[in-house]
Amino acid sequence: MKIDIEKLKKIVGKENVSDDIADLYVYASDASVHHAMPTAIVRPQTIEQVQKIMRYANSSKTPIIARGAGSGTSGHTVPIDGGIILDMKKMNRILDIRPEDMLVKVEPGVVDDDLNRALKPMGLFYPPAPASSRIATIGGEIAANASGVRSVKYGATRDYVYGMKVVLANGDLVNLGSNTRVHSSGYQLERLIVGSEGTLGIVVEATMGIRPIPKFRCLAVANFDKLEDAGNAISDIISSGCEPSMLELMDKIGIVAVNKAMNLGLKEVGAIILFEADGNVKEAVDFEIEKMKKICKKYNGKDIKKSYDLAERTKLFSGRKKLFASLSRYKEGIICTDLADDMGVPNSKIAEAAEKIHEIAERNNVIMAVYGHCGSGVIHTKIMLDSKKKSQWEDAEKVIDELYDYIHSVGGVTSAEHGIGLSKAPPWKKARSDIIPVMRKVKRALDPNNILNPHKIMDAPDNWVQATNLRYKVG
Amino acid sequence: MGILGKLFYFKGNGDFKRSRKYEQELNKCIRCGYCYELCPLFKSFYWESDTPRGKLLLIYGMITGEIKPTQKIVDKIFQCFYCKNCSDNCSAGVPITDILTDARADLIEQGFDVEGTIAKIDEDLCSICHICESICKYEALEVKKDKEGKEKMTVDKIECRGCGLCMAACPTGAISQKEGCEITLPELHNKVKEIIKEDKKKLIVFACNWSVFPGMQLSESPSLVKTPYGIIVSMCSGRVAPELVLDAIEEGAWGVMVAGCPPEECDHDGNYKTRRRLVLLKNVIKELGIDPKRIRLEWFSTGESAKLSKAIDDYVKELDKIGPIKKIEKRKIGG
Repeated sequence: MKIDIEKLKKIVGKENVSDDIADLYVYASDASVHHAMPTAIVRPQTIEQVQKIMRYANSSKTPIIARGAGSGTSGHTVPIDGGIILDMKKMNRILDIRPEDMLVKVEPGVVDDDLNRALKPMGLFYPPAPASSRIATIGGEIAANASGVRSVKYGATRDYVYGMKVVLANGDLVNLGSNTRVHSSGYQLERLIVGSEGTLGIVVEATMGIRPIPKFRCLAVANFDKLEDAGNAISDIISSGCEPSMLELMDKIGIVAVNKAMNLGLKEVGAIILFEADGNVKEAVDFEIEKMKKICKKYNGKDIKKSYDLAERTKLFSGRKKLFASLSRYKEGIICTDLADDMGVPNSKIAEAAEKIHEIAERNNVIMAVYGHCGSGVIHTKIMLDSKKKSQWEDAEKVIDELYDYIHSVGGVTSAEHGIGLSKAPPWKKARSDIIPVMRKVKRALDPNNILNPHKIMDAPDNWVQATNLRYKVG
Repeated sequence: MGILGKLFYFKGNGDFKRSRKYEQELNKCIRCGYCYELCPLFKSFYWESDTPRGKLLLIYGMITGEIKPTQKIVDKIFQCFYCKNCSDNCSAGVPITDILTDARADLIEQGFDVEGTIAKIDEDLCSICHICESICKYEALEVKKDKEGKEKMTVDKIECRGCGLCMAACPTGAISQKEGCEITLPELHNKVKEIIKEDKKKLIVFACNWSVFPGMQLSESPSLVKTPYGIIVSMCSGRVAPELVLDAIEEGAWGVMVAGCPPEECDHDGNYKTRRRLVLLKNVIKELGIDPKRIRLEWFSTGESAKLSKAIDDYVKELDKIGPIKKIEKRKIGG
């Protein structure tokens, strides 16, 4: 693919363009298993620059792949067909904080934790809180409709998007949404952009809702001998009308992994549940915690500890916080891959799904940890395998096929908070063939030349192992 | 590394035989990117190829043969201050800086010459006084004879950690480092000026990147919180050259705090040098009629950012009581 590098340099300055292998190779992958080289990297700093780049890309039919922190798990930013990676990290200004309107205006490259650090002195916070908030950008969170540990109470990114400025494929700038928490004024196009994974437009400014930090937060931990009991306790907590601000699960594989990686000394039981309540009235928080404790006990939960203290809460949560990366340390000779990573299931199916995942993994010679924000129905898993063996990748494909057939059969979703990208496209397409033609029509209407992150979601290849290079050396 | 170790190091004959052993460790890296949250190189350049994750990717590409080393790739590999904020954040337990050091050795053996973030010596200015040699904990500086038999100070490009202690100690200013990371003396001078003149801060805090700064960075957003102090991240308290402290006073700071690691906790043993240097400096300013309280040295262990915040607040209160340095005092610095 030929790209007019000089033209791009004129738009953003030569220090913000690279077609050097040192950069191309790095930007060829994210946190997924995929790897495909872009043709150039461009770092815009203004809306006008993004518009000019889009006009150039549209006229030359060059793929444009917007990228935030590169922490996506499904290959959203892997440029399967080459093209320009639009690195948005330099558009990282917090433009306005308006406590009186309970909103912020930010550029897309603002890091989630940086925004929260700016809000904290005002007693405010931005709630979605994905585990990667230390590097995740707001633009990336919008693209994936990210959520996190507090989604059980506070919801996902889409619940905080009031409005946004978007540069369309032809370079036009549009203002979507509003400055208000709700609106009923025409198509809610800002919602259409949420979760669109960079396939419909480039978000260049976002107006996001914020909330007051609750005065009290209490975190509790309960051990369970059986994973099934832990799963049932979670379902019961939700269906009994409790209001946790966090409800997390970790299975034994996860516990062993964090013990090995971080030397935490956690009791290696069948599963751990972490549950939190928050609010401005301590008695109300206590009431919620006690209610959840009772349910845990009903399902044989034991060793229950709780704390209001920040340092103690951080310690209790540290294993869960770093579980994802720790899985790499579970067993010598195997590695942790970001496959089948964030399915969602109805609340009543958590225990059944958790057990089923272990069963499918075992039958197919791979290891899968089960954890996640199960209070919101989000089950995180990772496929742990020997990346050098070709047969293990075939095993992984079988697992994905079988697992998602099960998830869809119980009314679950392919992805709850990370997006479809490349690696989750085959099972998603199989389950949602009904809406693919509609999505393609929307895509064609907004991006007739198919330049915005092409070959993703509904247009992603079915053979994900062959379609991109795996980032691991096999054999 | 001792002499025997060095001999062993250079016995190899090309390729990536040292770094190749890390292939499985590199596969353990899930590429989550948490390693670059506090990476000073990333904060300086904002290219992903400057992040620890990026460097590991490049090394992986080279050892698996997917890419060949180029000068630019090699330069990236040689840019690191070994602050280890990356490894501390990596729960996959990937030994990031060990991998980097072995890759450096492989690349040097392949004949690459590099600048990176390592110390650079201007032969015309160097008087071969050996001060830098005695200061370097990594034995990275050594006098060697060139082809004509002329002695010159040399830098071991694998062992140099870029801490900059030699730079701060060099009496002739012969040692420098790559510009762009706000670590060279001219850059730090400009930063001091900017904080006092433009941001109107009364206190300059030189905070060590190893111990306290990561915590500080995570506890507030310096650009948005209005404070009476400005923080300059220093790669080690030992690299805060005396002229930087005097510079701050001359520019109008009411006080200067140097925040370093406690004795025996400094990776580079730079804190001992700082302590000696600041005692001397306090005596110097006293001779000039300036209250020695205008310079303060404080020790903080890793994670003691709350203690640092309190120490800064207390010092600001003290400075508020004694007020700015009188003009007559300031004139005396310039003689």
